[in-house]
Amino acid sequence: MSPAKHSSNGWKAASVDSDPLLRFHWRLIQGGERAGASRAYQSSLSATGLPDLLPQIEFCRQAEECGIDSLLVDFGWSKPDSIVLSTALGLATQKIRLIVAYRSGLLCPTSFVQQLNTLSHLIQGRFSLNIVAGSSPDEQAYYGDFLSHDERYDRTEEFLAICNALWRQDGAVDYSGRYYRVEKSKLNTPFYSPERTFPEIYIAGNSPSAQRVSISQGTCWMRFPETPHDLAGKIRPVLESGKEVGLRLSIIARPTREEAVAAAYELLKGADAQFDDRAKEKELTERSDSLSIKSLNQSSEWGTSSLWTGAVRTHGPAAVALVGAPDEIASAILEYKSIGITQFILSGWPKLESMLFFGREVLPLVRTKERALIRKEPPASVSAMPAAL
Amino acid sequence: MKRLRFHWSLSAAGEKFRGAQSRSAQNGIPNYASLLEFCRHAEACGIDSLLTAYGFHRPDPIVLAAAMGMVTAKIKFMVAVRSGLFSPTAFVQQVNSVSAFIQGRICLNVVAGHTPAEQRSYGDFLEHDLRYERADEFLTICRRLWQREGAVDFEGKHYRIENAVLNTPFLSPERQSPEIFVGGNSQFAEQLAMKHGDCLWRMPEAPETLAPQLAPLLDKGVSVGLLVSILARPTRGEALAAAQTMVHSFGDAPRRTHREFSQRSDSVAFTSVLKIAENGSPEWLSPCLWTGAVPFLGAPAIALVGSAEEVAAAIMDYKRIGISQFLFMGWPDLEEMAFFSQSVLPLVRAKEQAIA
Repeated sequence: MSPAKHSSNGWKAASVDSDPLLRFHWRLIQGGERAGASRAYQSSLSATGLPDLLPQIEFCRQAEECGIDSLLVDFGWSKPDSIVLSTALGLATQKIRLIVAYRSGLLCPTSFVQQLNTLSHLIQGRFSLNIVAGSSPDEQAYYGDFLSHDERYDRTEEFLAICNALWRQDGAVDYSGRYYRVEKSKLNTPFYSPERTFPEIYIAGNSPSAQRVSISQGTCWMRFPETPHDLAGKIRPVLESGKEVGLRLSIIARPTREEAVAAAYELLKGADAQFDDRAKEKELTERSDSLSIKSLNQSSEWGTSSLWTGAVRTHGPAAVALVGAPDEIASAILEYKSIGITQFILSGWPKLESMLFFGREVLPLVRTKERALIRKEPPASVSAMPAAL
Repeated sequence: MKRLRFHWSLSAAGEKFRGAQSRSAQNGIPNYASLLEFCRHAEACGIDSLLTAYGFHRPDPIVLAAAMGMVTAKIKFMVAVRSGLFSPTAFVQQVNSVSAFIQGRICLNVVAGHTPAEQRSYGDFLEHDLRYERADEFLTICRRLWQREGAVDFEGKHYRIENAVLNTPFLSPERQSPEIFVGGNSQFAEQLAMKHGDCLWRMPEAPETLAPQLAPLLDKGVSVGLLVSILARPTRGEALAAAQTMVHSFGDAPRRTHREFSQRSDSVAFTSVLKIAENGSPEWLSPCLWTGAVPFLGAPAIALVGSAEEVAAAIMDYKRIGISQFLFMGWPDLEEMAFFSQSVLPLVRAKEQAIA
């Protein structure tokens, strides 16, 4: 691949189309996943660490039918390795893409790129990356990582700088930083995708460090939501740098608002009586040095009429949810689009049923509203368009 | 006495003389169709496991093993690993995940790396002997994670780990942890194998010079295997003719390539074999052990050459001195593997039975 074809956002010229539609991803079900189980409870199950391929492949197939773009494959000590699981799922599917979550500090950047490039040939490049800096110092220590929160982002930035240099394919890579040093690094296995010259790189996290790394090394800042009003100013620097912003969000949609709100509160009640989820989640939060996890625990339960943080205490920060009837949720999503959000990694309880309902009832409304807007205002405003344009 | 075990290298799937090119020129793109054909063929030929090697010029071995394991049922994958590139915890998590998807059909080939320049391209600036010291720490941590006796704490010179636990165990109907092969001819490789390994891979020498070197390992219960190529034909005449034709087809470029590689390498195994082959010493180290292809294809091209009967007898000579496993390469692999399986292996099994 000639360097000239390598655009900064990674899309090959031929695949940049004029379709400005939002992209929706969903979280993959885990091994033996129990509907409604809290984060702490799910991690404690031995089944979480075991492969559960048939239900997961079926989930992939249904995600394809729902119009879901990619499925998020988590990384953590309690789960199978995300690259290995993505290899297995990618080979068993045709269309769905996978978002491989990974952390810096677990393997050297050259080996990481080598694994991903190998995978890209086997599954036609159908994956992107969700790079996290790690949220728990305790868990990082399992892997031999003793850096502080800010240092982990600094290391992540160096890690990705080397990865991106290898993906540019313009000669051997020399790098000498504070955390990594490589000399004349090159790989004979290039990245392959019909559409891109390197995988999309989501940088996860709400901190200023996460924002900085998104701008310097990522393709999209993937963060937990706030109200569109509070978010608009915070994401501006990222959009202005030509990068995208996406949101991690849960969806509690029901035919009516009353049913949705009831389902939301039911979720809290449903926390396993045998297992003290609130205490466990509180412990996880206290031991975490993630800014997003701490700040979300302090906010009030309803940010807007649809944005609910009530489940964060039991289900973790990814449980910030849009709650409501399909039309309300579609409108809330469009509000985020209007401030410049272009992608969403969604989830719900249970993951499969919530995805099916979203695909059937919410997504068509989102598309209708999007198309109506496109007809009204031809693409002019930078902030409302994906960075790829 | 246990039956001999035979493994094969997957490294050249779809390419007859991969070793004749410099590493920089070798193709690193995994060809799924060739790999699949190779794996299924090896499975049908009764091969125990397939080596997936490590290097900047190759696809990643763990991803390859996971992918090929998904489409095979019996064959195992011997995944090469170099310490220093992975956190041991993350590595064990990957290996355990692969084991869980492919019924435990994964074992490890621990190598310390053979060229300082390549190690530096992965961010590893340690010298040869220290690389083995680090591999020792790496395997200590890995093995404790596989023991699953509580959280693992470790503080060494190269690694520090606190309270490590993983929720995905090594899953296999036969073992609690993967079989560990160690590659290398240096005393450090030998020590590493004795401390952590099940088997040490050696480059071959004539049985009588090799025999005295095996005792320390065999006494410790560590088996020894040979990394050797194979060129067997119905008659010795045909085998020698095939060997000569092959060597004449190369021209001079590969010879330069391997001379240059040898100057950059700090691997005792690779450089010692290349030295023997380059020194004008006789091409035949024993009636069947031929170094004639080494200058063109590199150290792993030291080969057992002869009729099916002669090669089977040579294999048994090694068994007699305590060698219990072989890791083969052939030119081309698929044809050589088929001939081995149909013509050599039955003779080996018959001879094994006769002495049992």
